[in-house]
Amino acid sequence: MTKCLVVDPAKLRKPGSISFSDIPMNTYQKKVADEKGNYTKDEFLRMYRDMLIIREFEEMLNLIKTTGEYEGVAYNQPGPAHLGIGQEAAYVGQAWGLGINDYTFGSHRSHGEILAKGLSAIAQLDDAELMDIMKNFFGGETFAVIEKTTKATSVKDMAKEFLIYGTLAEIWAKQTGFNKGLGGSMHAFFIPFGIFPNNAIVGGSADIATGAALYKRVNNKDGLVVCNIGDGSLGCGPVYEAMNFSAMDQLKGLWDEQHSGGLPIIYNIFNNSYGMGGQTCGETMAYSEVARLGAGITPSQMHAERVDGYNPLAVIEAYKRKREIIENREGPVLLDVITYRISGHSPSDASAYRTKEEVDMWKDVDSIVEFKKQLKAAKVATATELTNIENMVKADILNAVNLSKDDTLSPRMDLDKTPNIIADMMFSNDKVKSMDTTREPDMLEAKKDNARVKQLAKKVRSAVDENGKPVSKNKVLQLRDALFESIIDKYYEDPTLTAYGEDVREWGGPFAVYRGVAEAMPYHRLFNAPISEGAIVGTAVGYAMAGGRVIAELMYTDFLGRAGDQVFNQLSKWQSMSAGILKMPCVLRMSVGSKYGAQHSQDWSALCTHIPGLKVVFPASPYDAKGLMNTALNGTDPVIFLESQRIYDVGEQFHEGGVPTEYYEVEMGDPDVKRVGTDVTILSIGATLYRALEAADLFAEQGISAEIIDARSLVPFNYEKVIESVKKTGKIIVTGDACERGSHMNDFARNISELAFDYLDAPPVVVGAMNWITPAHELEDHFFPQPFWLVDAYHERIAPIAGYTAKKNFTEINQLESTKKGI
Amino acid sequence: MATPVIMPRQGQSVESCIIEWKVSEGDSVNVGDILFGYETDKASFEEESQVAGTVLKLLVEDGDDVDVLSNVLVIGKAGEDISEFASADAPSEAAPAQEAPSEAPEVAISKEQSVAPIESSVSADIDKISPRAKNTAERQNLDLTKAQPTGPNGRIIERDVMVLADKGYKVTAAAAGQYAGGAVGSGLGGAVTTTDLSAAPALPAVVDAAFTDVKLSGVRKAIAKAMHKSLSEMAQLTHHSSFDATGILDYRAKVKSSMEALNLPNITLNDIVLYAVVKTLRKHPEANAHFLGDSMRLFHGVNIGMAVDTERGLLVPTLFGADMMSLSEISTNAKALAASAQSGKISPDLLSGGTFTVSNLGALGVEQFTPVINPPQTCILGVCNITYRQKKTADGFETYPAMGLSLTYDHRAIDGAPAQRFLKDLCNALENFDVLLAM
Repeated sequence: MTKCLVVDPAKLRKPGSISFSDIPMNTYQKKVADEKGNYTKDEFLRMYRDMLIIREFEEMLNLIKTTGEYEGVAYNQPGPAHLGIGQEAAYVGQAWGLGINDYTFGSHRSHGEILAKGLSAIAQLDDAELMDIMKNFFGGETFAVIEKTTKATSVKDMAKEFLIYGTLAEIWAKQTGFNKGLGGSMHAFFIPFGIFPNNAIVGGSADIATGAALYKRVNNKDGLVVCNIGDGSLGCGPVYEAMNFSAMDQLKGLWDEQHSGGLPIIYNIFNNSYGMGGQTCGETMAYSEVARLGAGITPSQMHAERVDGYNPLAVIEAYKRKREIIENREGPVLLDVITYRISGHSPSDASAYRTKEEVDMWKDVDSIVEFKKQLKAAKVATATELTNIENMVKADILNAVNLSKDDTLSPRMDLDKTPNIIADMMFSNDKVKSMDTTREPDMLEAKKDNARVKQLAKKVRSAVDENGKPVSKNKVLQLRDALFESIIDKYYEDPTLTAYGEDVREWGGPFAVYRGVAEAMPYHRLFNAPISEGAIVGTAVGYAMAGGRVIAELMYTDFLGRAGDQVFNQLSKWQSMSAGILKMPCVLRMSVGSKYGAQHSQDWSALCTHIPGLKVVFPASPYDAKGLMNTALNGTDPVIFLESQRIYDVGEQFHEGGVPTEYYEVEMGDPDVKRVGTDVTILSIGATLYRALEAADLFAEQGISAEIIDARSLVPFNYEKVIESVKKTGKIIVTGDACERGSHMNDFARNISELAFDYLDAPPVVVGAMNWITPAHELEDHFFPQPFWLVDAYHERIAPIAGYTAKKNFTEINQLESTKKGI
Repeated sequence: MATPVIMPRQGQSVESCIIEWKVSEGDSVNVGDILFGYETDKASFEEESQVAGTVLKLLVEDGDDVDVLSNVLVIGKAGEDISEFASADAPSEAAPAQEAPSEAPEVAISKEQSVAPIESSVSADIDKISPRAKNTAERQNLDLTKAQPTGPNGRIIERDVMVLADKGYKVTAAAAGQYAGGAVGSGLGGAVTTTDLSAAPALPAVVDAAFTDVKLSGVRKAIAKAMHKSLSEMAQLTHHSSFDATGILDYRAKVKSSMEALNLPNITLNDIVLYAVVKTLRKHPEANAHFLGDSMRLFHGVNIGMAVDTERGLLVPTLFGADMMSLSEISTNAKALAASAQSGKISPDLLSGGTFTVSNLGALGVEQFTPVINPPQTCILGVCNITYRQKKTADGFETYPAMGLSLTYDHRAIDGAPAQRFLKDLCNALENFDVLLAM
């Protein structure tokens, strides 16, 4: 979609063939003896120790889950435990060369990744850095337990105890765990060591990790990102979306030199041959070898290769080579790391899908046993030295078990004493003008030189001029312009702000909100995303998680389903699942359509308001749009920003003085009385406001004075104004363009029924769209609420109007019959 | 224009008052003239006219129990139409009259009063009404049985209630506006709008005080129940008297000075009163009795209940067989009983069986009080403190120590005169305590 790229028929129609390079498979075949010159004895022994710690940790959990005790210590762990026994060499090999600026993201099976990356970080950091991290993490709450009980004599040993304890306490839902117990086994992480969230949704980390890599590239941050997912996740669309996103052509061809090149990310597929019980190779997948997939993504074939994950040295070596590729901006990279989980998918897995013989074959080549043999054979260490390490590891794990089990040292959150402790973590509610105040924003021109900024300066900022005459569409500052003003201001204030979505750059978005931004901002701050809704939202989650501010856009709310997991499980959850460590300054813009039929004209606000952890707003006037966008962009919470396509061109009709040029905020959750009345309250959501105003005129013809309240926000929402209005009128109609069943209107109606029961003269009436498909534009008036519907509903359900005949059927009988039919 | 006058509301809990007319129809009245007197269950008031004019109509009969805030009379110019002010709810005494066959048919009334309020009622059975309509009706004392439902499915909605107010109670509301100041002391001035008509009379602003909810102990709950039962089921009243305590004070001083020599217990004023009560009860069996509804149980012996203030609350242990005891025995046993109650370990058997109760608050400086009877006993004696009074003697006035006694009795069981006779005898006995000891 850029004019500099020419689509040439001669080129596209030319005959020829595509050639591929060979894909390396397990090229590294060295053993300890061969590498003695490259690693010290201490390093070899640390590899051995780290693998053992993971093995013992997982064995311990397995025993706790299956026998209820470990080394005579009883504990009941009701939560999940997806163990990685057998995968230790792959974990340790990967983590060996990663620093704390290299971010890892994981899966549901990631205890070993946390321990390996943590142990690697401990080895690299000096004592002062380690003490600083431990003392400042959650105000030292986790470290206090170690400080009180440790017998370690070195900071590094203490840090090791801290790591094992913090991970186990987290798995056991203790408040001293790395995420206060809110993450748990499948979502534990530790940001100070560069260990980012593990994800219980298969493939869930793919888009998020890619977003973190985008953050590193856009903001020129050091380090690479490792996305640890399993072979099972390759069946997930969003994983493909992520890989493509990280390698899209514009990164090399269109982004400026400082920001060009594929994203710094390694998709590390821990290929254990199973997606739970489904056998990927030979049963559920078609790739035959995971490494083959890279060739389908980029001409570089994602530098894919298969690596022997049963040999830690092979993995270390592969990472060393791949880091160079990333640093040369030749990423992304795909690694097919062969491994095998000897343990089941979880302790309840009876392994019905594999034979004992198969498991035994892998036990025979057990990476830890094999590595120990090699250490002895190469005379790196004596049997006694190795036994000492084994005993030390056992003691470390037992110590962590004893500490984590102890409810005094390691209490759980007390939801009886502090019942709001989780509620208070659902939103961060911070106001942060800029996520990085240390640098100037990248830009192509000064704001004052921007053509659209100049053009808007000449617009009339109210819908009517000083003589009370309506201002023409071309002269008035429209809702889309108000949004632009808010966004462009933030672009010049926060250097981390980036925005993307479908067709946003040259086109300015199909509704021209971004028109003019392309002239002001380089590609890396506004770009066209692939039509990958999962990746659009998922990368935004990763971008925000890594520390940036981002606006993601889905062209139509109807495409939300494509980004379902990213909105419902990721965007909404990571602030609270991290116990407030992570912030999520991400605005997800979605337009609500009309005119385009069943799959492009749906208001799905209720799908978002249902999910805890999302703020949801739906402004209907330019003043509110700019004010709410300012608030959203200045905050650190995920905001679903709904915009109706019906009203992008409206001028400001309500706010005295029109839309201010200067900065202001509209408080989220504060509904607004758009017209004062005395007899009936109409609470409208989004663009329905304007039909509600027309309805107020119809009501006036009947001698009924309607008060119109524009909800503006759905979550949060302060009911006080609405209740005050209902105290006055005794009657309320809630209206919006969503299909009535399961809508947020119904939520409003229920709360109003409860909160204003004694003042109500009739139950609140919901006038939403029909519970049908949205029909063609020509038939839409029978689907979306029309002004007369509100009067009809009032007549049928609230207070019959003398001499009035309803045209639409709002009777109770009709309601009963419709619901019986599922309508 | 004629002005209606309402029955004022003297306080939140007052629902109706008995009216006593001070004017008659056709009288001329000036501002400040007394129109009527009215009586609540606690007090009497007089209502002054706020306007000058002729009394056009008295809407209720002398002696009627009239709902507060409803119209009682109309003042205006002679000959003015007053039909719109007709009271919407006739006093309940008038109701039986409607049943009388000789009454003019109802049709005639509604013909005569074309704007008149109340169409014959639809149905007294109100099963569909919006919360708002219900609340409005309650606030404005509107008669919902007269409401014509116009809401969906026959639901009474707010506007139906407003019709009641408009037709039948509009006047009341307007008058409430005029009179609210006098009635509840918060003044509503200026013109009365229709909005005001539907509003409740203004009341003083409510300021919530901070508070702590404390769970009741078992003893507290039992006391609460017993006290409430006592007051709600009996016809209790209290007489207050006092006697010259010079004699018993002298006696007590004497005993005190020879306590050790005679091996006497520390006899207190309370012991002396108990002793006198026991002796006096002999002559007044109705005061030493239980009232059992259709019979009285007159006791031959005397078991005195003694109200004791304990940490857990009020307990009333019983001094059994008090009539068989000497003063020093009463003194010794009463002290032991009180100590046992205060320790919290008293046997429950000792907490019932009394025939008469004595409650002594004298030490706390009470001058008189109304003790609450411990049912089914018929009396309780409250012992008060000693104050100094003067009495006239041949030489002039003499100051003497007067000890107060408050006797609460159940009027169902005992009339005032016999009760007072008991009290008087008791006073005499205490004033002549040395004689009593001889009995």
